[in-house]
Amino acid sequence: MSAAARAMAADSSAPDRAAAPVVPAVSVRDVAMVFSGQAAVADASFDLASGRFLTILGPSGSGKTTLLRMIAGFQRPTRGEIAINGRPVSAVPPHKRRVGMVFQKLALFPHMTAAENVAFPLKMRRFDAREIPARVARYLDLVHLGPYADRRIHELSGGQQQRVAIARALVFEPDLLLLDEPLAALDRKLREEMQLEFRRIQKELCITTINVTHDQREALVVSDEVIVMDRGRIQQMADPISAYREPANAFVASFIGVTNRIEGRLSDAQGDAVTLDTPFGPCAGRWGAPAGRSPRVGEAATGMLRAEQIRVAPSGEDRGGLDASVSAEIVDVIFEGERVVYEARLAGRPEATLRVFDHDPLGHAVQPVGATVRLGWNRRDLIVFPND
Amino acid sequence: MPLRPSRSAYPLSWRVLDALEAGARGVWPARFARGVPWLMLAPAILLVGLLAVSLFEIADASLRTLDTATFLPSEEHTLANYARAFSEPVVLAVGLRSLGGALLVTLATLILAFPYAYAMVRTPSAAWRKTLLIALFLPFFIGQVVRAYGWLILLGNQGLANEILGLAGLGPYRLLFNYWAVLFGLVQYMLPFAVLMLAPALSAIPEEVEAAAGSLGANWGRTLLHVVFPMAKPGFVGAGLVVLTLTLTDFAIPAILGGGGQDFIANAIYDQFFRTSDQGMGATLTVLLVLVGSTLVGLVFALFGAGTLSLRGRGP
Repeated sequence: MSAAARAMAADSSAPDRAAAPVVPAVSVRDVAMVFSGQAAVADASFDLASGRFLTILGPSGSGKTTLLRMIAGFQRPTRGEIAINGRPVSAVPPHKRRVGMVFQKLALFPHMTAAENVAFPLKMRRFDAREIPARVARYLDLVHLGPYADRRIHELSGGQQQRVAIARALVFEPDLLLLDEPLAALDRKLREEMQLEFRRIQKELCITTINVTHDQREALVVSDEVIVMDRGRIQQMADPISAYREPANAFVASFIGVTNRIEGRLSDAQGDAVTLDTPFGPCAGRWGAPAGRSPRVGEAATGMLRAEQIRVAPSGEDRGGLDASVSAEIVDVIFEGERVVYEARLAGRPEATLRVFDHDPLGHAVQPVGATVRLGWNRRDLIVFPND
Repeated sequence: MPLRPSRSAYPLSWRVLDALEAGARGVWPARFARGVPWLMLAPAILLVGLLAVSLFEIADASLRTLDTATFLPSEEHTLANYARAFSEPVVLAVGLRSLGGALLVTLATLILAFPYAYAMVRTPSAAWRKTLLIALFLPFFIGQVVRAYGWLILLGNQGLANEILGLAGLGPYRLLFNYWAVLFGLVQYMLPFAVLMLAPALSAIPEEVEAAAGSLGANWGRTLLHVVFPMAKPGFVGAGLVVLTLTLTDFAIPAILGGGGQDFIANAIYDQFFRTSDQGMGATLTVLLVLVGSTLVGLVFALFGAGTLSLRGRGP
């Protein structure tokens, strides 16, 4: 689904969600988890509407898996409350929650066949024995594993095992599906295939899903909403496009996408239009801090500039219509096929290095190492955050 | 500044191995290299060979009856010893007692060993794990006979157990020299073996799998029954085989805690060899014991696979 279509789908569902008093599928309120004095998660609060696909994105140790395990019921929050469909669940053990989970290492039962694995939750949850075979067959078909029902787990490929784990987590129609980085161990091609598969199944069943990953690409590809976590705290919750284009702080800006950091000092501020004094000279930028934190002229600040937002042109030739234009020397060129990656540096200033993605669909020109070039960008793409 | 080479880049253990390799080259030049595997197998071949030879000797002895006039084994081969073994009620009683005891002890030991092994593998506290491990190995430092005498002191008519019961106005009870005392002593002796065989099988089960069973709707009881027990099966089979064979052939515990009235096969064999000096009958009982033991082990292999004793890697 394209980004536009996704946005429309979100819009069209808005009226009927507004009609009834909305109970979020998952509600996390001021949740904290403290391990031996160390806060793994602090002050986590968010609501997730029914049928949405949320990805919690963050580096390892950011607390994302701890948050997921608390929602699954494997860990009890030190503080705060988690509600699923309006029901507080902090005191409910995992086997009494209606939550399906796909584990990082899948945690399939090796002594059972694929079909037995999928039937297991139905047996444990006391489904009618006469109903179980048909239901197992239906969910194995959903993940395209019909012909492999009677295979043992070790007779299946990595991708097929993933599919068994998905079917097993979904077959009892849980209120919520949790994905604990199940794709992390797969090679890139299979991982991208499975990402789309997760998305297809999620849309087909319209099941509320929370996915945990450190793969920013996966977060952007599969999710309706993204939470970015760092050091136990939620940094931002937004849809993927907003998280990418309107990062809430410098961490989010640097964690999603390839982003240049330009340190400097504010020399001017008019509303959210600021000027940052940088080693490249004064650069026009956009103030990115949340409302209430207005820019102060003279304060130290960091400009965040995405590699793909920088245009590169031979020296002397200027790209018109750009708000900023600086001169730099190419120090490294990496040809990646669909794009050229440049490292451009201000002569003699190693801290003033910019990474530039150049797709150059028209010119097919590659600047050589040592060439002096002009780099330009638009004011709105240099997002300036305060250093505190 | 010159870079100081790291000590761990060529550790001491490698130097020791280098020296050993150099020494080995001196003793066993490279052109004999093809003989190395055979050289390494030689002790095992020797051991098994000796065992086979003595088994053959025993089988031969079992076919000769004791001549009561000369007190020498007969010259001709006969099945008379086997006929006697099957017709004498004492032999049958001892055999059934050993077999039944071995099965009961195996069952009880596995039931008691599982929680111990599980707690040892799963406890999040390193201190607890160490305590449980030390408690497990401590009995190994105390021989079987010494331990059995310990039980005599504790469970005797004037022992600690009866004293405590006496304080409550009970007893004294005769706690020793019966079947249950023997089984009790055997279970106590076998428990560490079973725990040691079970623990690796349990630690091979990822905790995530148990968590998964929970999230799929299984409480802890059903998680054990449907997931942990089946996945720990190789451990149960291995531990069961070890306990079964060790119990079936045990000598000291039935001798000491049974007080002579609760003989197992090993005790009967001992009596034949060293009391009545009927080598033929002793050999016959030995052959029968080997046959019954191997049949049992074969049966377990056929029914459950070879468990953790199996050499075949069976990965997921």
